[in-house]
Amino acid sequence: MDKEFIARGVKRCSTGKFLLWIVPWAALLAFGLYAAALVLVKGLNQTNMDNRFAFGLWIFLDLTVIALGAGAFFTGFLLYILKIGELRAVINSAVVIGLVCYSGAVCVLAVDVGQPLRAWFTFWYPNVHSMLTEVTFCISCYLTVLAIEYVPIVLKNRKLREVPSFLVFEFELHKLIYVLAGVGTFLSFFHQGSLGGLYGVLRGRPFAFREGLAVWPSTFFLFILSAAAVGPSFVLLTTWLVEKISRKKLVKPEVFGLLGRISGLLLSVYVIAKTVDTLIWINRTSPESGFPAAQYYSWQPFGTWILFAEIGLLGLVPALMLLSPKLRAHTGWLVAAAAMACCGVALNRFVMTVQTLALPTLAFDRYLSYFPSWQEVGTFLAVVAFGVLVYSVSFRYFQLFPSERELKMQVK
Amino acid sequence: MLPWNYGFQWNAGHIIFLGAFYAVLATVAATLLRAGIRSRRDLRTRKVEHIRWHSDFHDLPAQDRVCRHVLTGEFKSRECPHAFDCRECETHAKLIERRPVAEEEIFGLVFPVSRVEVLAEVQAGDEEEFFGLSFPLNRMYHRGHTWAQRESDGTVTVGLDDLASRLIATPDAVTLPAPGSLLEVNGTAFHVRKRDADVRVLSPVDGEVIETGGAGQGWYLRVRPTANDERAFRHLLRGAEIRPWLMRELERLQLTLSAEGAAAPALADGGLPVADISASYPKADWDAVCGEMFLEG
Amino acid sequence: MIGPNKNIRAARYGMTIDVDRCSGCGACMVACAVENNVPPANPKATDRTGLTWIRVYKIDNGLPYPETRSAFVPVLCQHCGNETPCVHVCPQQAVEVDPATGVVGEMPQRCLGCRYCVAACPYHARYFNWWDPKWPAGMEKTLNPDVTPRMRGVVEKCNFCHGRWHAAKQQAAADGKPDTEPVEYTPACAEACPTKAIRFGDLNDPASEPAQAAKNGESFRLLEKLDTGSKIYYRSKREWVRQIANAPHPAASGKESFHG
Repeated sequence: MDKEFIARGVKRCSTGKFLLWIVPWAALLAFGLYAAALVLVKGLNQTNMDNRFAFGLWIFLDLTVIALGAGAFFTGFLLYILKIGELRAVINSAVVIGLVCYSGAVCVLAVDVGQPLRAWFTFWYPNVHSMLTEVTFCISCYLTVLAIEYVPIVLKNRKLREVPSFLVFEFELHKLIYVLAGVGTFLSFFHQGSLGGLYGVLRGRPFAFREGLAVWPSTFFLFILSAAAVGPSFVLLTTWLVEKISRKKLVKPEVFGLLGRISGLLLSVYVIAKTVDTLIWINRTSPESGFPAAQYYSWQPFGTWILFAEIGLLGLVPALMLLSPKLRAHTGWLVAAAAMACCGVALNRFVMTVQTLALPTLAFDRYLSYFPSWQEVGTFLAVVAFGVLVYSVSFRYFQLFPSERELKMQVK
Repeated sequence: MLPWNYGFQWNAGHIIFLGAFYAVLATVAATLLRAGIRSRRDLRTRKVEHIRWHSDFHDLPAQDRVCRHVLTGEFKSRECPHAFDCRECETHAKLIERRPVAEEEIFGLVFPVSRVEVLAEVQAGDEEEFFGLSFPLNRMYHRGHTWAQRESDGTVTVGLDDLASRLIATPDAVTLPAPGSLLEVNGTAFHVRKRDADVRVLSPVDGEVIETGGAGQGWYLRVRPTANDERAFRHLLRGAEIRPWLMRELERLQLTLSAEGAAAPALADGGLPVADISASYPKADWDAVCGEMFLEG
Repeated sequence: MIGPNKNIRAARYGMTIDVDRCSGCGACMVACAVENNVPPANPKATDRTGLTWIRVYKIDNGLPYPETRSAFVPVLCQHCGNETPCVHVCPQQAVEVDPATGVVGEMPQRCLGCRYCVAACPYHARYFNWWDPKWPAGMEKTLNPDVTPRMRGVVEKCNFCHGRWHAAKQQAAADGKPDTEPVEYTPACAEACPTKAIRFGDLNDPASEPAQAAKNGESFRLLEKLDTGSKIYYRSKREWVRQIANAPHPAASGKESFHG
């Protein structure tokens, strides 16, 4: 029925089957939007956040999806600036993932603040000392860049490119794509870093506070490294997942290996840097604030296992797995390592947001716990559903995987 | 933010931060604007067809973009840098000037043959059938499977070559340009529809359409070319190039047919292509097959 | 933003709180709420979602009966003077340190409600409006006309009763005093405290009680090692009280509890 919108030579399921796939996600989106609407209308009391847990599930998830969406800028950087041509096979998919992650994060942020209509205040009265100002500016700019990078993907649709102005505009825009890739890299460097800087500058929270370089705490650089490391892994993971769900070969196997190798390399550097930083923090930074590091891990369930899990089990282990050519050659190990790396970064973001706030600062304070309310979970699920919907539509109607047709020939 | 805002103090931090922000915004806006202005200019100077072809060419897989001189064995591997427009190509100019040696395969053995000899062969009215397909040597062929024949009155007739004709057989619909329309090399000549295939056929020449024919007449268009010198037809295949080209095209067709769901025996078994290939493969995605062979991607 | 005026002789308002005198009566909490138009808590509010610009914590020395001893510590915004954490992190510059008074003031009209400052404050002295403020019928007559009520979704905190400072300034102008001199006034909590445990003054004035307490060896500030430049000086003759305020939270704790 919609065959004229589907690219030539690639097989997509029937329209009916596609709708069957879409409907449950749309329902989830509707439910999530209802939860978000409740929060917007009734206020943030609909969540389980409070004055001690000022940040909760949403901020943790925002940080995680932005780290995972780093694949968009990093793949673009590697392809258009460093000219690693094999990544052309996944760049479109990475851009869609990035767009979904960032737009989802921005939407959740709009619900998370007490007065969303005042969002423009940050642009009008910027506080250049604040990391959050930096985050706001960079993420807004970067979302714009991602949206512009998505336009050529849309305009290349089989039916749309018959419109002469669309065809021509896509062609001209694609000639300048390297400018956007460069700007995207510059912006991503800063906002990934600033998200880390958000916690690193908190002198009042010795658990999160780090020393660093000039105004930038070490978490600034660690977040950039971890985001760049996990970006390719997430692209790998999603590509594999899409291949499994669509039952098609979408990229050449060498591309998986390449993504895994890049991820493993950066992850190793990150693990080393993080270990050094943690040691400095335990031995110098934290005691100087009057807080010996051991006390942070004396409250269950946040024992020292969380530190070892983050850096060791979900950091060093996947790094070594991804660096080993033998393990990389097996899709099973490769995908497992990529998934572990993504979980490791998610755990790192969790530790920096939730664990920081759970720990007491005043001596007569208590360790606190928090569990998200259904409205918070619902809003997050809306983002997931939104992502799946946008990706599904893009996969069906746009050419996210240029190698797909070529691989179809080779298989037979 | 602005200087007259009560009590606002500018310092180095503000200048760096806001400077960077506005620089980024300006860059992005400038990029969009540049793309937009160039697009408007392209639309006004009617470069749409040119761009469409370049866009399609860019998306072709690497093996479909080989230089014609790979077909004749002069290069081992080379990707066409000019989107099959050999008129501008310096390499092609150099190669035909020096009248380099072409190779022709006869009975499985490779014989070096010079172009002079090849042309002499043509005059002698040598074999016109390659692999069961009729490719008269007094015509020139476009890689999109059209032929161009220079007539005595200076016009050029354009038609679908035998392989393309067998792919399309009796088309379900043909959309020809009106007389007076302008064609450009590698731009759209006309559209054909067969089953679920809806392809545009590439034009082998620059020129103005004088007369239109049809599937039954053996030719589709009569064109008055913009230029009638040798250079205007330089990009078309002829003579000794046809055999290796057709061999490759048949290989490509075979690959495409098997990839698009055809289960019938392959042509390499030694069979001759039938008059209506599409009827032999009712289950194949004919749109994809035609798109591949007509270089529409 | 407050413009600099070099002619003003700046004050640095601070407090001294004598923990030994504090009886835990909570009069300061009530007076603060009345003075500053803090709305009554929503029925669903908990001790972690309420608005208590000043809050009395109970601490004890952790020893079993009969050695158990308790003390009460009122905690409010410490008006940090050294690289004030909340001022640094606010993306809209909705918080600022007034150079003329040293008071860390909040602009609820500019606050976005991102709660970054709430996370940054180590003293947990900042409170977010989780609900729309609602006063029961008739109670709006108790509202203080000198203080803006805040809306839902913004952060608020102690500002050393800035409305009273303004009133004192106007009175000083009416009395013909020069505009460049700091004024003396008393915030609601200090005024209401029955034991005079809370005393307010100008730290730049050596004769004021807070200035004298700052020099006293029995005085301490909360979380001194963080070096926030807090202007609230607590006093206690009891060693264990000083230890709890300065020492890091003991690992095996759970014995200390806080009551709002």
